[in-house]
Amino acid sequence: MAANKSQGSYYTLALVASTVLCAGIYEWSGGMGKLLVLVGAAGILGSLFGMKGIKPLEGKIAQKSSPFVMKMVGAACSLLGWIITLFGMHLTPSTGGRIALALVGIAVSLFGIIVVLPAAFNKNAIWKT
Amino acid sequence: MKKSIRGSCLFLCFLAIVCATAIVAHAQAPAAAMAPSADQELKDAAGKAPAMADLAKGDPGGTTTGTISDVPAADSTKGVTVPDVANQVGQNKIAINFVWTLVTGFLVMFMQAGFAMVESGLTRVKNANHTYMMNFFVYTVGLFSYWLVGFAIQMGGAAGNGNLGGLQSLTGEHTLTLFGKTWGYSGGSGMFLAGHTYDVGVMVLFLFQMVFMDTALTIVTGACAERWKFLAFAVSSAIMGALTYPLYGNWAWGGGWLAQLGVNNQLGKGYCDFAGSGVVHAVGGITALACALIVGPRIGKFNRDGSSNPIIGHDVSAVLIGCFILAFGWFGFNPGSTLGASAAGNLRIGTIAVDTMLAGCTGTFGALLFMWMKTGKVDYSMSGNGLLAGLVAITAPSGFVSPTSSCIIGLVAGILVVLSCGFIENVLKVDDPVGAISVHGANGLWGVLSVGLFADGTSNYGGAWNGVTGNVTGLFYGDASQLAAQLVGISTLIGFVFTFSFLVNLAIEFFVGHRVSIETEVAGLDLPEMGQLGYPEFVFKAEPDYLAHANKEAVAAAA
Repeated sequence: MAANKSQGSYYTLALVASTVLCAGIYEWSGGMGKLLVLVGAAGILGSLFGMKGIKPLEGKIAQKSSPFVMKMVGAACSLLGWIITLFGMHLTPSTGGRIALALVGIAVSLFGIIVVLPAAFNKNAIWKT
Repeated sequence: MKKSIRGSCLFLCFLAIVCATAIVAHAQAPAAAMAPSADQELKDAAGKAPAMADLAKGDPGGTTTGTISDVPAADSTKGVTVPDVANQVGQNKIAINFVWTLVTGFLVMFMQAGFAMVESGLTRVKNANHTYMMNFFVYTVGLFSYWLVGFAIQMGGAAGNGNLGGLQSLTGEHTLTLFGKTWGYSGGSGMFLAGHTYDVGVMVLFLFQMVFMDTALTIVTGACAERWKFLAFAVSSAIMGALTYPLYGNWAWGGGWLAQLGVNNQLGKGYCDFAGSGVVHAVGGITALACALIVGPRIGKFNRDGSSNPIIGHDVSAVLIGCFILAFGWFGFNPGSTLGASAAGNLRIGTIAVDTMLAGCTGTFGALLFMWMKTGKVDYSMSGNGLLAGLVAITAPSGFVSPTSSCIIGLVAGILVVLSCGFIENVLKVDDPVGAISVHGANGLWGVLSVGLFADGTSNYGGAWNGVTGNVTGLFYGDASQLAAQLVGISTLIGFVFTFSFLVNLAIEFFVGHRVSIETEVAGLDLPEMGQLGYPEFVFKAEPDYLAHANKEAVAAAA
C-alpha cells in the first residue's frame, strides 16, 4: 500500500483534533476549555487508531521485529546517564567533581545509544539473512 | 547694648540668607539656562531644515533627506522637543533590532531550500520528488505546530529581552522547586499568539524562533530518506515541532533550567548555546539517529557480512548549490542570534559573521583534505558535509570566540564529520543517506562543547548572560565551570532528547509504521507515495548489480 485517501483523512483529523485540544488548553479556565480538550483528545485517539487500522495494508516491509526489551534497556540506559548528570550537580560543589560526574552520565547514555540499541535493532536485521 | 547685639545678629542672618539664595540661584542658573537652550537649538535646527520647495527639487546626493522635520512632535504647536527626540532614539534602536532580526530570520527561512537541494541531491533519482516534498512539507507542518503550542512551551516565559522592547507579555514560565532552587521547565504564554502576546516584539521573536525550529525538523528527513513513509514523517515532524524541540529550546533559551545553571549552581554563565549547535542541530541530529535506528537501513545498503555499499546520490549540482545556500543562510543563523544590531554589545555581529565564514572554510578543508589523503580523490559529498559541519560547530560558540578559535573549531568539525560518518555506517550499521547524524548530531555536540573550551571572555552582551554578570569564558581562558555547564547540556541532549525522541517514534511505529513496503522502496517512493516522478522525462539508468540483486531478493522475500 502506498499513500492513499485514508492516510490523508486520518492525518487531517489529527491536525484538526490537535488544534481543538490546544484551543481547550488555551481556554482551560473558561467554560468551553475542558470540553474542547476532551473533544481534541478523542479526535487524536481516533486518528491514531484509524492509522493503526490501515497499517497492515502497507504490506511486507524490509525489516524484521527486534527484541523489545533490549530496546527498552537501551532507552533506559540513555535516560539513566542524564539522571546521573543531574544528580551529580548536587552531589559535589567542586567543578572537577561535577565535570567527572557529567562525563560518567554521558558515557552511560552513550552506552545505551551506541552499544545496546544498535545491537537490538541489528539482531534480526534483514541484511543478515 | 542688647539691642545692638540683636540688631547685629539679625543683620548677619539676613546677610547669610541673601548669600545662600545667591549661591543657590547661581548654581541653578546653568541648568535653567540649558533647558531652553536645548529646545532653542531644536527650534533652530527645525528652522534650518530644508523647505518643502527645496525637497520638491529632488535630493540626488542624499544630503537633505532625513532631518529634524522627520522627527514626529508630540505637540505640533511646540515643535520638536527633547523628549520627542529621546523617544525617537528609543524607537530607532528597537526598529534597527526588529529589522535586523526579521531580515536574518528571512535568511534562515531560505535555508529550507538549501536543505531540500542537499538531501534530494544525495538520494537516488527515483526518490527525488519524495525527498523534496518532505523538505517542503516540514516547513508547513512545523510552523503550524509551533504556532499552536511549540512557541508557548519554548519562549512563553522569555520576558526581559531589551533588544526587542522587553517582551513583557511573555511571563508564563512554569517552575519546579528542587534542591532548594527554582527551575524553569516550560513556558506557558503565547499559544496561538493570542491575547496579550498579540504584540509586535513577540511576533518578531516568533518568526525568528520558528525558522530555527524548522531547521531542526528538516535534519531528520535526510537521515530517513528513501524509505520513510510520508504519513509517519508528517506525524513525527508535527510532534517534534510541538514538543521535542520547544522543550529543549525552553531549557536553553527560554529561561529554563539549563540557562539557570549559572544562577542556581554557579556553573559559569549557565548553559551557553549562542545560535543553536545544541538547540537546533544536535536536537535535529540526535532525533535523526533515533528515527534512523527505528526505520532501519535501505535495501542493499549492507551485505550479509555487515560491510556497506555506497548508494550514490543523483545530482552533484543540487548538493553543492544547496550547501552554498545553507552557508548563505547561516549569516542569518549566527549573527541574527544577537536579536539586534543596536546596543547591548550587538556590534559583535561583525565578529560573529567572520567566525561563521572561517569555520565553514576550515570545515571544508578538514573534510576535503582528509578524504583526499585517505582515498586519493576529492569527495564532493564529504566536502559539502565538511562545510556544513564547520558551520554547525561554530553555531554555539560564534558569539563568544575569536576568529582563530573558530578556525580550529571548524577544522576539527571537518575531520570529525568524516570519522563520524564512517563510525555510524560501519560500526553502528545505521543507514544515514545524507550524513545528517554526523553533520548535525556529532558536530552539534562538538559545538556545544567548544563553548566551554574556547569562549574568550571578550564579548559582552549588556554585561550579563543568563542572568550572571560577566562575560562567557571557557576552560582555555580560565573558567572550568563553564565547561561543566556545557557538559550538562550535552548530557541532556543525548540522555533526555534522544530518549524522548526514541520513545515518541517507537509509538509512531506502533500506530503508523515508519517504513514503506518493499515494493514501494524498490520502485522508488516517487510514484507510490507522491504519484509523480521527480524527473518524469528522464530515462533511469539501471542500478548497480549489488543493489539490483538486493532488490530482487527483497521482492522475492516479500512474495
